[in-house]
Amino acid sequence: MSTHTHTTPPAANPHPRLRPGRYGIAAAVAAVVVIALIASSLLNYVYLDTIPGRTSLYGLLAVALISLGTYIGVRAFTRDRASRNKHLIRAGVLLGLGVLLWLLVIDIFVFTQSAGPGVAAICAIACLPTTAFGLLVIRRVDRNEKEPWRLVVVAAAWGAIVATSLVIWGESLWEATAQRTLVPGPGLDASIAFSAGAFEELAKGTAVVLLFLVMRNDFDDVVDGIVYGAAVGLGFNFMESVAYMTNLYAIFTPEGYGWYAAGFQWYGRQVLGLFFGHTTYTAFIGAGLGVARQLPHKRQKAFAIVSGFLIAIAAHFSWDAWVTFFPINNTLFGLVEIHLRTLIMTGPFTALLIALLLFGIRYEALALSDQFRKEAASGSGAILPEEVPILASPWRRLQQRLRAFSRGGLGAYLKVARLQSAQLDLAMERWHRERQEIDTPLEAEDALRTRVIQLRHWVPA
Amino acid sequence: MRAPYDQIRTLYRTLVVFATVAVVILAVGLVEFVYFEPPGQTTGARARIVGVFGYDSTTGNVVGTDRSTFTRNEEFAAEVSWSGLPDSLSVDARWYDAFGSMVGRLGQSTPAKLGNYSIVQVIVPPGLHHNLPGHYTFVVERLQGGMPVEVLARRIVLVES
Repeated sequence: MSTHTHTTPPAANPHPRLRPGRYGIAAAVAAVVVIALIASSLLNYVYLDTIPGRTSLYGLLAVALISLGTYIGVRAFTRDRASRNKHLIRAGVLLGLGVLLWLLVIDIFVFTQSAGPGVAAICAIACLPTTAFGLLVIRRVDRNEKEPWRLVVVAAAWGAIVATSLVIWGESLWEATAQRTLVPGPGLDASIAFSAGAFEELAKGTAVVLLFLVMRNDFDDVVDGIVYGAAVGLGFNFMESVAYMTNLYAIFTPEGYGWYAAGFQWYGRQVLGLFFGHTTYTAFIGAGLGVARQLPHKRQKAFAIVSGFLIAIAAHFSWDAWVTFFPINNTLFGLVEIHLRTLIMTGPFTALLIALLLFGIRYEALALSDQFRKEAASGSGAILPEEVPILASPWRRLQQRLRAFSRGGLGAYLKVARLQSAQLDLAMERWHRERQEIDTPLEAEDALRTRVIQLRHWVPA
Repeated sequence: MRAPYDQIRTLYRTLVVFATVAVVILAVGLVEFVYFEPPGQTTGARARIVGVFGYDSTTGNVVGTDRSTFTRNEEFAAEVSWSGLPDSLSVDARWYDAFGSMVGRLGQSTPAKLGNYSIVQVIVPPGLHHNLPGHYTFVVERLQGGMPVEVLARRIVLVES
């Protein structure tokens, strides 16, 4: 018998085993990722230039530390209070070591080689605020139940560190083979674009798949999927931006405009393309997984997941393969052309994604409203009838929190926020249970209800 | 009484429609690839690249020995031997830089007409003072309808940063 006292609803479920079957799939996916990383690093070390090879080999340890630290950190929140801190400290130490080692490797062996550690640091610092802004925005679009920061940041870190490491070997091998066998021109460009679309989206999508498999309680629907997918894309875009900026700085400095080239890259990737390129592509993978989360049949689930990946790969491919068909003039009008090119080529995909997102938010809001009403009608006391219209509207929820703030300061604001969050969790749990798409027992819902009632006692009238 | 319509179906169908468009995009990409890389275009003819050398722009001749790496401020060129290629072929020779931009070309013509023109130099792109770093690809191509369809010889050199 377990001696743990769970702070979250009990994880035991009617499933005959201790853990749902999807954990086995997650372990298999993680094993494949680790094997791919090891193989990629060893092959890079043997076959590629000496310095990038060393980078890859030394970087492997950093990736392993970050992966392990991430896993322990994420799972720490499902443990009891007594052991949670211990696991969080372990995760923090591993993540810290991994990040330090990674930065050391990157700075010394890659960016230092081309542009120097100072330039690499400036490029990274320039990309941090924009990426953080992107993460803030995509997290906020989930108006009803915001995803935990720890998962959003983990998703972005995967995109920046693990996904970029996964694609190095595959893309390098493909490109080297294509350049030695194909006719240079649009055919070669198309071939390399297929490689970039497939390898990069699979590497990024793996993170979203793992979140979908392991963190099911925080992966509710299409909106959540879009948020996680976009976070992975933003992380990938961050690392790619730093790499391109430093590389172009090194290339164009002898011509006298290294900073201009780096700045132009920064604008193109971190301002103009922040929500378009990688963010949009990987968000489609998340959308596919989010829709699959709520579909009843396995065949439909598989179709939805494959659809998400196909859309992401096609959107990525179309940019890489056809961007040369929209040349930019070396005139002042070129500045307009750059914006038009992004809007024309990636805009339609982003518009389709926004349509999915808006529909998903509306669908979620209607479902939650229905659950608020049903819970209020049950008379449990967790949701009162007069709270239903407030909980159903993000704007009115904010007003309620602000009223609490004006009466009792920040403490009252946070207490009301916690209560609202717990009520939304309860409604979400009810929704999934009604749709029979949840594997936690009814006791979990009762535990949420008890928590809401406890929180209500702490909230001033 | 009918069960209420589940809106997840709308999301699912929308996603499947988008995926259909995605398949069309990827199919167009495949068609593009096959158009520019048509199968069955192997004549068996091979051109000979004598080497890649330093280039003296004042005399228009190559200098030194065959090399695989150059610095950014070095001029360099490839030398091609057109002999041995059937005169019925339409051919050209091109340099591509690491960004895939064409930075030097000779032809299109027949091997016989190109006989005396064997040196293809890399031209620094307008607005730049030096060659861009990275791997440069030199190809001798067979053309059909003005479009390259087969690489008759290929050489890759590195311009160091």
